[in-house]
Amino acid sequence: MADIISKELKDIIADPNTLKVLATVDKNGVPHVVFKGSFHVNEEGNLVFYEVLESAQSNKNLVHSIWFDKKVAINILSADKQSFEIVGKPLKSITAGREFEKTYIALRESKGDIDLAAIWIIEPEQIKNETFSVRVSEDEEKYPILKHLDRLFVQ
Amino acid sequence: MSINDKTKWRENELSYEQVLDKYPDIPPIVALKIDVSRRGISYTDKAFAKVDPNVHHVEPYDYMIGHGQNVSPIGLFLRDGSVICQAHSKVYDWTYRDPYILDVVDDKLVIVDNDKVYEEAWFWEKPDFYDKFTSNGTPMRMVASARPQRITIAPATKCHFWDNPKEGCKYCALFSGHRAANDEGDIRDDKWFQDVEETVKEAIKQKGRYASYHMTAGSTLSGAEIFDDEVDLYINTLHAAEKAFKVKKFPVKLVASAFSKKQLRRMYEETAITTYTTDLEVLNKDLFGWVCPGKAKHVGYEEWKQRLYDAVEIFGRGNVDCGIVGGVEMAQPNGFTDEKEALKAVLSEAEEIASHGVSFAECVWNTLPGAIFMRQKTPSLEYYVQLALGLAEVRRKNGLNIYTDDYRRCGNHPNTDLARID
Repeated sequence: MADIISKELKDIIADPNTLKVLATVDKNGVPHVVFKGSFHVNEEGNLVFYEVLESAQSNKNLVHSIWFDKKVAINILSADKQSFEIVGKPLKSITAGREFEKTYIALRESKGDIDLAAIWIIEPEQIKNETFSVRVSEDEEKYPILKHLDRLFVQ
Repeated sequence: MSINDKTKWRENELSYEQVLDKYPDIPPIVALKIDVSRRGISYTDKAFAKVDPNVHHVEPYDYMIGHGQNVSPIGLFLRDGSVICQAHSKVYDWTYRDPYILDVVDDKLVIVDNDKVYEEAWFWEKPDFYDKFTSNGTPMRMVASARPQRITIAPATKCHFWDNPKEGCKYCALFSGHRAANDEGDIRDDKWFQDVEETVKEAIKQKGRYASYHMTAGSTLSGAEIFDDEVDLYINTLHAAEKAFKVKKFPVKLVASAFSKKQLRRMYEETAITTYTTDLEVLNKDLFGWVCPGKAKHVGYEEWKQRLYDAVEIFGRGNVDCGIVGGVEMAQPNGFTDEKEALKAVLSEAEEIASHGVSFAECVWNTLPGAIFMRQKTPSLEYYVQLALGLAEVRRKNGLNIYTDDYRRCGNHPNTDLARID
């Protein structure tokens, strides 16, 4: 799939002050939402994050997703309150090998005594601007009848 | 003439796609791993051309059975981070099913069957220590081997159940190749233990590579009590390895003979060992005597089970594991002839054993050259899928973990791969 993440959004994702939330579901359909600060975009335009806990629910749910071709969602909230939802599919889980080891070493150098369970690569399929002001404008334009009447009352 | 033209095996069992349709709980990638393990995988010339011995983990392609000449990668990564522990498979005149093909399409390694591409795959990478030598001049690759996340030391390459004709396990090609050898290759003197210490120290310099220290070997029956010498060898080998670590206990997976309670206590109290595996191989008392005559003669099925239960007392629930060769219960002429009956019997026995706190690690039976059973016909993919799902359910129902033999620390068991989403 083509690189669908804009340069502007890549910069937002790369900003350490941006909040990045991953939403997955388990095998029974129970949702799970967790912050993943390591999200970034690789050269192929895919989202990458580092799962440090083997037992993490998100890790289990991503395995379930990659096994059964299920989608996951990521929400990005920038420091200036811009929000984007990215829906995609896990492409690959790297659990060993040179790339894994390189990341493991870098993580331990920057974060201290932590482990690494997997490098997850997620292919984005759909991006939606969920910034509040943008969504309000969209709603006003597309759904003018979806509002309370008192908002239309002449003072 | 193709293998299928000869045996018509495709006409007699459900295809991979039909199995997925019938059993929606089995992840397609796990079913593929099962089928590749069952049927083997042959590398094309293009796939072999992708092998770089400086980068990839290669061994003599039939090194497990001791008479390899050419080299082959010994395993593949799949995109879910799991592995397939399979080297290049040769086809023999008795081969019943076509192996999968490892080919190159669009410059990518892919697993193919009947001209259909199923999954991309990647070769395992070579451990750094494979190019190093100990201070004694021993190549470290002769001291230890590796999988992507574990290091293995095999202190004894000979299994003494083979000492008496026909007493070795009939499916086994791992030790059968060594059955005519003497113990000259297994001199475990101070020099060898020093080699172990240096090799383990060197290996763990490769940060992030190893999540488990694994030890296994053929059974050694000698000693004041049966297996005493085997226990001594493991203890001494572990003591050598322990010098590489700053903690008393670390993730050690020992796959060994069925030790007595006294021997198990020694292992647990005197070494770093954390988990213990001993393999019943086939979950049926009568078939155990036929398939594993040496084990049956020297220990016995009920005593082997009891020793598993004794191990749970020492290591704790979920830290004791029983390996089985899934499907060997259908070997002929003494095995089950009906897959439903076989499955029911195996899962019932598994349930009984698991209720005592023992987990299971199922290997997929593959008929290998050198094994007494090499000309046997293994069960259908449908059988193996049901077995993997059934064993996973037995483990869940009994609240057991399988960390010691999971996709990362071992990688050769479809039923434990399924624990990744529990």
